[in-house]
Amino acid sequence: MSGSDSDKSKGLVSLADIFRTFFRIGLFTLGGGLAMTPVMRHELVIRHRWVKDADFVSVMALATVVPGVIAVNVAHLLGRRLRGKRGSLAAILGTVLPSFFAILFIAAFFLPFFRHPKVAAFFRGCAVAIVGQLAFAGFVFGRRLLLSWRQVSVCAVGLVTVGVLQSHPLWAIIIAGALGYVLCPEHETKGAGRRVNSD
Amino acid sequence: MLILIKLFTSFLLIGLGAYGGGLVTIPLIQHELVEARHWLGFDEMTQIVAIAQMTPGPIAINTATFAGFRVAGIPGAVLATIAVVLPSIVILLVLLPWIDKFKKSGRVNKFGQGIQLGVLSLILFAVWSYGAAAVTGWLDLVIAAAAFLFLLVFEGKVHPVIVILSCGVIGAIIF
Repeated sequence: MSGSDSDKSKGLVSLADIFRTFFRIGLFTLGGGLAMTPVMRHELVIRHRWVKDADFVSVMALATVVPGVIAVNVAHLLGRRLRGKRGSLAAILGTVLPSFFAILFIAAFFLPFFRHPKVAAFFRGCAVAIVGQLAFAGFVFGRRLLLSWRQVSVCAVGLVTVGVLQSHPLWAIIIAGALGYVLCPEHETKGAGRRVNSD
Repeated sequence: MLILIKLFTSFLLIGLGAYGGGLVTIPLIQHELVEARHWLGFDEMTQIVAIAQMTPGPIAINTATFAGFRVAGIPGAVLATIAVVLPSIVILLVLLPWIDKFKKSGRVNKFGQGIQLGVLSLILFAVWSYGAAAVTGWLDLVIAAAAFLFLLVFEGKVHPVIVILSCGVIGAIIF
């Protein structure tokens, strides 16, 4: 058993426990990322005492800075801390499986009802809500990131890439990343996280 | 078989861009699954994104499972889910040895700012491209604006799922 990454003084946490705990976290959170933070903190810091609060905060900060799905990054980092690579795998599986089964359940049993006119009207309302959510996400991101003409131009180039040139959305991210490297000052964002973070 | 490979690559790309939370997957999914491949219509995409928010777990993963299922059944669901998670795992594994330098480096910070701005441009683009399909009358516009204002006023105090559920119920009543 390679638990080399574990800096715990007490005995090793079992893989089954890691899996169960992350499964519970995945099951009891709607939406990923930062919505998961309070549940994760409760399970990992308070209930199991697997990580100290300060470590938890630094893992969260890191998980939000590196690319990828935030919840998966957190599971990856914490699982690794507890039991090395196997711990990561157990934690990631635990995080992903509740989503997977919940969706399969809905797809298998509820899909036929989606054609019903009332359900279709419900989803039309949802679509409109999503537009509001997107606008709000844009507002929150923009408020934090668009601090000078430099950032505004990088964002504008991204918009032209995807909106005018109709390129693949990933190009907007890549081009903006390269342009940010050239244009953006070294430390101008408020906070390290890529979302509005409470830590 | 070919469709499974295409599905896998599509979700690898979506997972690669899923940077900064579930909503960024919307422009990526719209591009990959609706416009480039024609696997889903706008209505199906909306169902997927809405359901993904109402079910447990990260939105990007829920979306992958659901879209994979709709395109190619259970094998599609399994493959799409693996594909959307894989970039996160690989990127973090590659970055881990440099993570301490990575956190302090001003250059990485500059690059990171650029990436975040790219993500912002995608979200703003999605307001336009997704919004153009979703908002078809003044009533839609009023509800969308109300959802935005509600999120703004109660920032951090309400779960986003409350907003999508209430708009859904309002939709079921008035549409």
